[in-house]
Amino acid sequence: MKTIPLCKTSDVDEGTAIKVETEGLSLAVFNLNGAFYVLDDLCSHGPGSLSEGYITGENIECDFHNGAFNIKTGEVAEPPCLVPQKTYKVVMDGDTVGVEA
Amino acid sequence: MATIEIPAAKISFECPPGDTILRAGLRAGLGMAYECNVGSCGNCQFELLEGKVESLYPEAPGLNERMRQRNRHLGCQSLALTDCKIKLPMRDDYKSLILPARATGHLTAIENLTHDIREFRFRLDKGNRFLPGQYGLIGVPGVVGARAYSYCNNTADGAEWHFQIKRMPNGKASTALFDQLKVGDAVTLDGPYGNAYLREDAPRDILCVAGGSGLSPMISIARAFAASEKLKGRKLHFVYGGRSGRDLAGEAILRGLPGFGKTIFYYAALSNPADDDNWTGRTGFVHEAVKDILGASLPEHEIYFAGPPPMTEAVMKMAIENKVPVAQLHYDRFY
Repeated sequence: MKTIPLCKTSDVDEGTAIKVETEGLSLAVFNLNGAFYVLDDLCSHGPGSLSEGYITGENIECDFHNGAFNIKTGEVAEPPCLVPQKTYKVVMDGDTVGVEA
Repeated sequence: MATIEIPAAKISFECPPGDTILRAGLRAGLGMAYECNVGSCGNCQFELLEGKVESLYPEAPGLNERMRQRNRHLGCQSLALTDCKIKLPMRDDYKSLILPARATGHLTAIENLTHDIREFRFRLDKGNRFLPGQYGLIGVPGVVGARAYSYCNNTADGAEWHFQIKRMPNGKASTALFDQLKVGDAVTLDGPYGNAYLREDAPRDILCVAGGSGLSPMISIARAFAASEKLKGRKLHFVYGGRSGRDLAGEAILRGLPGFGKTIFYYAALSNPADDDNWTGRTGFVHEAVKDILGASLPEHEIYFAGPPPMTEAVMKMAIENKVPVAQLHYDRFY
């Protein structure tokens, strides 16, 4: 297990997400009220990119088929998604957001 | 000839008149996302950044009102009226292993398989190969828009495309195919397309689940399995679901394959057998039969499935609930 640094906290505005591609991973980094969460960027259902989706409360709505996941847990919140989205354990180091992988 | 530019990927390609943006991009070898190719699944949607397009199917169910408001269009249904700039997801694993091409096919034979499934065999003027499990588009004379049908045969040179097609109640294309098309008549063909093709490198036994119109691609996969050197020693379980006895199909074809009863196994389940079927086999839905047949070994299979949407949804749910890794599930969503 190692920590992969992804971005600075200032790179992601509150209530938004960015896409980070590193070490063969394509990840969506979310900032919900100052807390950071990381999920796979590619939707488990189709070709949508979650970092380009719409955040409502704790959910991210994919802008491809309008399915949604809980950002904190990856659980399916709205169909047509069936498979939970993979989440990553976030590791903060000062102002750097990283994940265990 | 329009030029389509994808600025984010620094790529552009030519889209000839009459071809759609998705299909032209796939012909150029690009990794553009898609699944059904006929306007239903929504996977090929792109955002139009610049230029003008026209849809062959403006009311296509693959886009809802919100997507349309975001200037999304379906690549599989969009003709380019001018040069265009578009935004869409591109990935290497969306690239076609065999580039799709258009051809003219002449009907050489028709065979009845059930009361509503018929095999149509076409010979192509310009052959193109395909992978077992893939589909082609058939343009039927007098019917607007192409329809996607899965191949049932295997081909070394691509000269013969065979399809097992189910007659859809009120379906314009299948009605024209069943009631009007005669041996010797011509159709337009385009393919191959689809991602639910046989993975010969996957180190697992195979499960094929078919219902109704899903018979064709599963037969193609079973035939390829029987002929595959790489898959020698593996097993293939073929589970077919129908309503009543008159829907039963596939067993006679599988019985003709080498290895039937030793490495290839056929099972059928009927959800609503008729009294005069005198059915003594499994009753219930096909996904329940699959669970019963394979039990705890289900996650150790590479799973291919095709059929009507309620069936494929149920198979998918059952497989996920039983811990089958998603990468082992292969199907194309036509809705």
